[in-house]
Order: sequence, then C-alpha cells, then structure tokens
Amino acid sequence: MTQLLLFNITNGLIIGAFYVLMAIGLSLILNLSNVINFAHGGFLVVGGYIAYTLEPYLGFWGALIASPFLTAIIGLAVEKVLISRVYGRDPLYSLLLTFGLAFILEDGTRVIWGANGKPFTIPAALAQPLSNEFFFITGYRLFMVVMVAVMIALLFILLRYTRAGIRIRAGTLDLETVSALGVNVRALRSLNFAVGIFLAGLSGVLAGGQLGLEPTMGAGLLMPSFIAIIVGGVGSLIGTLVGGLLIGVASGVTAVYFPAASEAIMYVLMAVVLLVRPRGLFGEEGMLT
Amino acid sequence: MTKRLDFGAVDRRTIVKAGAVAGLSQIAAPFIWSARAADAIKVGMVDPFTGVYAAVAQNELIGVKYAVEQINAKGGVLGRPIELLVEDSANDVGIGVQKTRKLIERDGIQFLIGDVNSAIALAIAQVSNEKKVLHIVSGGHTDGITGKDCHWNVYRVCNTTKMEANSVAELLFNKYGKKWHFITPDYAFGHTLQEAAQADLTKFGGTVTGNELTPLGTTDFSAYLIKARAANPDVLLVLPQGLDMVNCLKQIAQFGIEKQIHVAGLQQELESLEAMPPEARVGIWMFEWYWKQPGVPGVEKFVADIRKRTGGKVPTARTWFGYTSMMSYALVANQAKTLDGVTLAKALGNFELPADVKLQPNKCYYRAGDHQLMTSSFVGEALTKPAGDPEDLFKVDTIVAGDKTSPPESETGCTLQWPA
Repeated sequence: MTQLLLFNITNGLIIGAFYVLMAIGLSLILNLSNVINFAHGGFLVVGGYIAYTLEPYLGFWGALIASPFLTAIIGLAVEKVLISRVYGRDPLYSLLLTFGLAFILEDGTRVIWGANGKPFTIPAALAQPLSNEFFFITGYRLFMVVMVAVMIALLFILLRYTRAGIRIRAGTLDLETVSALGVNVRALRSLNFAVGIFLAGLSGVLAGGQLGLEPTMGAGLLMPSFIAIIVGGVGSLIGTLVGGLLIGVASGVTAVYFPAASEAIMYVLMAVVLLVRPRGLFGEEGMLT
Repeated sequence: MTKRLDFGAVDRRTIVKAGAVAGLSQIAAPFIWSARAADAIKVGMVDPFTGVYAAVAQNELIGVKYAVEQINAKGGVLGRPIELLVEDSANDVGIGVQKTRKLIERDGIQFLIGDVNSAIALAIAQVSNEKKVLHIVSGGHTDGITGKDCHWNVYRVCNTTKMEANSVAELLFNKYGKKWHFITPDYAFGHTLQEAAQADLTKFGGTVTGNELTPLGTTDFSAYLIKARAANPDVLLVLPQGLDMVNCLKQIAQFGIEKQIHVAGLQQELESLEAMPPEARVGIWMFEWYWKQPGVPGVEKFVADIRKRTGGKVPTARTWFGYTSMMSYALVANQAKTLDGVTLAKALGNFELPADVKLQPNKCYYRAGDHQLMTSSFVGEALTKPAGDPEDLFKVDTIVAGDKTSPPESETGCTLQWPA
C-alpha cells in the first residue's frame, strides 16, 4: 500500500506540473490586467490543433515550437480587438467576454477540424515507460515536467532581469503609477497577454500528446488552473506553482482511495484555503480589486 | 483623443440586457432541413450537437438525413414528404426536454428520434409518452429504456448494455483468462455495463480483481492504471466511451500496460478509434455495426452513398442508428397506412427490417415485449495498422445475433402499459 501511495504522489506531482503550466499563464494575465480569462482553455485547444495541423510538415518537435508562437499571435489579435476594450472595468466584464470567447473558440475548432477527436502522435522514443517498475513515468511525461520547469525558469528570467518583466511585476502592484511614469501600458498588457497565451498554447500541444485532442478538452483543464491560482494565492506566481502541484497530488492520492471524489477534492481544498487563509497560501491581501 | 485607461464600474442595465439575449437564444427557431411543403409530415430529432457527444450525434444526423432523402425520393410516407426538424439538446436534460416539448407542441412533429445521451433519452421519452408521439431512441444505451422505464411509444435501435456484455464476455473468458479488472465510467451506462459483464464473469466462474469508477471527463487515468497494474489481472476491461476511452487507451499504450495485461472492453466505436494514435488501437471489442461487411446485401451501396455525403468518410454505427430509426418509421407507417402513434407503436412490435435497412447478415427485428431492436453485435479486434482502407480499423471476427445476446423479455423488467 505504501508503494501505491508513493507512486500516486509521484504521479500527482507530474499531473500537478501540467496544471502549473496552464495556471501560470492564467495567473500572469489575471495579475497584470485583472482579466479573468475563461477562454484560456479555448486557446489551449487551439494550440493543440495547430500543432496537429503542423505535425505532418514540421514533425512533432517543429510543431511543438511553432504552435505556441502561432497561438500567441492569435491571442495578441484577440487582445487588441476584444479584451483591451474591457480593461479597467469590473472583472465581470472580462469574465463575460472571455466566457463567450471560450464558446467561440470551441465551436470554431469544431467547425474547422470537425467534431471528432484527432489522433495526435508523439515520437515513439518518448512514448515508452522509463522502467517496468515505474511504468507510469513515461519519457513523454518526464519531458512534460522538464518543459514546465524550463518554462518557469524562462519566465523567472523574463520577469526578474528584463525591462519588460520588471514593468509587468510593477504593473501588477500599481498599474496607474507605472503608466504615469511613462511606460506604454497598452503594449505591456498586450505582451503580458501574449506570454500567457503562449503558455496556454504550449499546454495544448503537451496535452494533445497525452490526451485525446478534441474541441471540448479545454474546459476540463481550465477549472484546476483557477483552483491552483486561488489556493496558491492570487497575485503570486510562486503560489500558483505550489497550488498547482498541491492539487495535482491531492487529486492523485484521492483517486486511490475514493475515485469519485478525485475532482471534488480540489474544490474542497479551495474551500478550506478560502476559509482559513482567504488570500491563498502565498498571496497578498487585496490583490483582486 | 486619448483613450481612457479607465477604472469604471459595472452597469446594471448591461447585465439585464445580457440576460435578455441569453433568454432569447433559447426560443430561436429549429434548424429545418428538406423542402417545406404544406402537407409535409414533420419529424423531430433531438441530439447533443454541441459538447462531448457532438461527433456521434452528427453522424446520427447524417444517417437520418440520408434516410429522409431516400424516403422522399420514393414518394414519402403515405404520399407526403418528410420534413426533418433538428434541435440541439447540448447534453443537458433540461434543454433536451424543453426542445422536445417545443417540437411536439409548437412544431407538431409526428415522430421523434433521440437522444444519444441516455439520461436525456429517458427524460424526453416521458415527454413523448405524455404526448403520445412515436419515439425511437437511436443512441442511448441504458437498459432502462427498454427495461424498467419502458413506454408503449418508445422503441430503441442500439444495443442494451446487457446485450453488449453478453456478446463479448464468453470470448474474453475463454481466450484471455478469469481475473478481470474494470475501469468503469461513473454513470448509469458504465454501472449497468460493468454489472452485466460481472454477472457473466461470475457465471463462468471468474473473479473481479477490482472496479475503478472514473468520473466522466477524466483526463488522467494514471492513478487507476497504477491500481490496475498492482492488482495483476488477466484482462483489463476499459468501459469508458468517447474521449475518456481515447485518453485511457492512449495512456495504456504509453505505459506499456497492454504488454503485461490483455486489454479489452465491450462497446467500441469507430469515432473513438479514429481519434487515437495507432499504438493505442489495441484489444478485443464489440461494435454495434461495422461498415466493412463483404457480401452482405445493401452495405456497399450504403457506404458509397454516405461517403458521397461526408466527403469520403465511411458510415459508423451511429450513422446506421439514425438511418434505421428514420427508415423504421417510414416503413411501418406506409405498411399500416396511418400516422396514428398508438397503431404504429403496435405495428412496430415484431417488425422485421428488410435487407437494405438492417445491413447485417442476421435477422433484425423489434421485439414486441420490450421494444428493443434485436440487432447483432460485431465482435472483433482493433487494428493498429488499418487493413487497406485508412478507415478500416477493426477486424470483425463474429457477428452475434441480437436475440442470442439479449436476455429474454421476461427478464428485462419491462411491462408495457398501452393507452386504453
């Protein structure tokens, strides 16, 4: 039984790593622009499908690199045309807008690529378990964890050492002052949104390799991302990281003993955190205003 | 003029307007297909065209539309053309019931087809029963529809979960072994499917090493697969359908589980196999209808005609369900020379489908006692490499007749109450 538990904790961390990738993109967008991006799942799906379309020409690796950038470009266009109009207003506006956008993206995918799932293949070299004992750690899932770690490292470098990154962090705390200091806030928000959608697109490609690529797959992956942000603390990227891993492990372990609750446990965790420490584990007070 | 960066507030009127738009979208007109004529017979179809079952629902619709074309080309029903009205239940029981009521009360349909989702099928069956409209459930599998929840006006084309289990169980037991482990989707269909398979297994003398109940929409099956591996069964039965099936098999293939444990299941669909990468297409399954049936009359023409209408894609079992449902109505109405619901419902009992509708080698008829179509099960293996045609992903080994897989009428729990 202990071995089963250990396996599932490890497995939970792998699942959690994936949630982290989704949630960090979402958190970035939420922190700076106060936009609750319900369409994040939709962009995930678009990223996956673009990779599927590019795979015959560029191969898996080419599609993996190209697709997030293309998805980010689409995200940028959406931001300029739609999302920028609701900045500064009550988060309800952005919620309604992105909620509708999510449906448009899902149905758009259905119209372009068809309602049936698409077989997205990953290189055979990755689709093998590492060992007979640890059969649930396949090369692909390990690669996924590595990708998440690399992305987080890159994001950290971006936010800590580049000018744009520092401005994003400053804008998260006080956008008005940043604007008053002469920074082009519009461009900053666009860049931030594009980075968030880049991560969503990347999540989509990685998800497509492991799950069935289908128009509705974004919805199921979106809720854990929100929970990760709330549990970890709105406004804190470290919090999102911890939150994602935490709910991944919680979900994985619960699946062993009480499978019906493996999804509900995430919400229970969220409820507990909100009752005990409403700001989240690493959050600061008053972030979502 | 500079754009404000603004920090405004929500307007109450905006929310009210948004709500009104959302409400209006509910009562928009149905999608009407085929020429409107003053004396057309209206037929309604309710299926989940958006959401997880969109692909199979769309295939059902293709079958129904093709049938309507064929029927109208031959002069329609009692000399009148068929007009098909289509509504989206969006996988929601409330919406399905609302759309059904609208089709019956406002649009005046004489015949109803639907729903793929078993829960919605049961709910709209109550509506059609209340309104005395003949109703064929094309794709909902839960046993209750022709079991304890049967109605005099409701017939069903697709298999019951008991039929599916019975068709494959013996083969799996004899070929693979007696210790079975289940991965079961946690809803009505999954439960009844698993219980039926377990009953068969116990009858043969096997044991269940475990039953993992997975919530619908589970994307990551790794925890359940870890448990299944630890239990060391002979056979791992994968019962989830649609996207869940695709996810599960993909992960099984990536974990290399099919190299240690035999992977099998009960119901499988071409839509799911086509959504999987080749290495995930493993195991023994049953199909409810398959397009490659050399030598069986009518099949080749059906496949060719459907391919013309889908841009080259073959018909699936779902296409056949839709086609059969619509054709059954036309045939029985033309034979009974009436559109009265009660008369037609009685006439469909023991009605045998002709060769160009049943499209299978065995006798295919609606049983009078429970209104279940005695349709065959196509048992075989999934193919990693397509056999010639890129859509030939399943090798049929045996075709078991419906009345061999189905429990007798007395055991289904169905008691039909006809109106006075």
